[in-house]
Amino acid sequence: MQTKKIWAPSILALAIASPAMAGDLNINGFLSVGASMLDKNDAEIAGADNQGGFKSDNVLGLQMQKQVNDTTTITGQLVSRGSDDYQTEAAWAFLTYAATDDLDLRMGRLRIPFFQYSDFLEVGYAYNWVRPQEEVYRVPFSSIDGIDLTQRFSTGDIDGSVQFYYGRYQGDFETSTTAYDADFRNFTGLVLSANSGNFGARVSYHQAELTMDTSDATTALGLAVLGASGIATGLGDPSAAEDFNFTGQTSSFYGAALTYDDGTYSAVAEWTALDHESSLLLDDQGWLVGVAGRFGDFTPHLTYSSEADSFDSGNEGKIQELLPLQDEQTSITLGLRYDYDTSTALKFEIQNNDEETADGVDGDSATLYSVAVDLVF
Amino acid sequence: MKLFKASCSALLISLAASTAFAEISVIVSASNPNSTMDQATVSKIFLGKAKSFPDGSQALPVDQDEGSAARETFNSTVLGKSASQLKSYWSRLIFTGKGTPPKPSGGDAAVKAIVANNPNIIGYIDSSAVDASVKVVHKF
Repeated sequence: MQTKKIWAPSILALAIASPAMAGDLNINGFLSVGASMLDKNDAEIAGADNQGGFKSDNVLGLQMQKQVNDTTTITGQLVSRGSDDYQTEAAWAFLTYAATDDLDLRMGRLRIPFFQYSDFLEVGYAYNWVRPQEEVYRVPFSSIDGIDLTQRFSTGDIDGSVQFYYGRYQGDFETSTTAYDADFRNFTGLVLSANSGNFGARVSYHQAELTMDTSDATTALGLAVLGASGIATGLGDPSAAEDFNFTGQTSSFYGAALTYDDGTYSAVAEWTALDHESSLLLDDQGWLVGVAGRFGDFTPHLTYSSEADSFDSGNEGKIQELLPLQDEQTSITLGLRYDYDTSTALKFEIQNNDEETADGVDGDSATLYSVAVDLVF
Repeated sequence: MKLFKASCSALLISLAASTAFAEISVIVSASNPNSTMDQATVSKIFLGKAKSFPDGSQALPVDQDEGSAARETFNSTVLGKSASQLKSYWSRLIFTGKGTPPKPSGGDAAVKAIVANNPNIIGYIDSSAVDASVKVVHKF
């Protein structure tokens, strides 16, 4: 956490202190403000309850970019999120070295490219939803400190890129109830994306070795560690409890997405899967399918998304079934985006969220009403 | 008001498109060795997908100011995107440090002057403003 705070100011100070002759200092920003209301009083979706929420979708981001010389650029992006009580964090802070016209090396704090929309997850203006679907966009941290290499290519009608990254995440792993101290090492991944005409495709693979502090028995995961050991003993297989911890086991993330956009109609399909070696987190799959139509300044859109956990095999799976860990939910989102001008969008959204299972027990369904204004400047 | 403005500019574009004067020329400096380029090449340079001319030298696109008739025609004809779509396209790149949009650099006269003085710059102006200081590489 300490390093996170030091990074940003030092990089930004560098950006400001550099001589102005090498190029302009570009300052861009984005702002999202929103309000949402849930129709149930015992549920919570995306940080909103039935008392109305004004805070959880509010995001302010400021980016400064400065070209230092022909091949080197520095970029810093500070983001302040309502869901984090407006604590300001450096989402990006990196140096780009353009090795060739088509090969970039970046070093510093980088966004983890898990998802189709990862790179601009917080820039609401860049997509139609008020917020990405939580069934798919469910990883509770978004940046690593490390390096990446991006090679762009263009052949005939196809252009695209291959991105490889390596780094480490040290910080909070936040669940709905608790923030755990996490250290994810050897964080690495490969992303291949390609576009041809109106079609786009993206596949990615990521992995990391997870170490997390689950020693506090008053937390859900801490309790699950104790529960697992008790149940394993009850099953006559105490060794089955050994994998209910985070001591460097590998977790893998798979993603695939297809997009279509002909200027009027657009569609997106995204599938993701998490595969944990540790039994304390359940393997799962989340996917979404969305369509939108652009009619002048109005863009109505409809999205279905789904997430379901699955159990390990053997006694580990039997233990998982008895612990309050399993989630399964779907949601349908119907929304309307209105482009007020070329840098402001107004969004209205109704989301019906059906939790079949939440923390191992029968869930509830609820409807969330949201409005948001997204700007880029 | 906004709708009115939008329909006015739509009207202007359609009026403009029906007269020979509104033809747009994509231009480079007279000293730039590249000759004609097709729409796909121009589009890739202006969308930041290509960073060099067909002969391999560096290509730096400049835009006209927002609201200019030439810009709207260029966006919809060559790039095939509306102003909002383009803003969304660039915001996905700007905020990831992956690209910056061509710099708005004034109208026909200003763009012509910038292009004439630097063989790496590519711009577009109303065809009626073209003179010997620049070379037309694409027309529409």
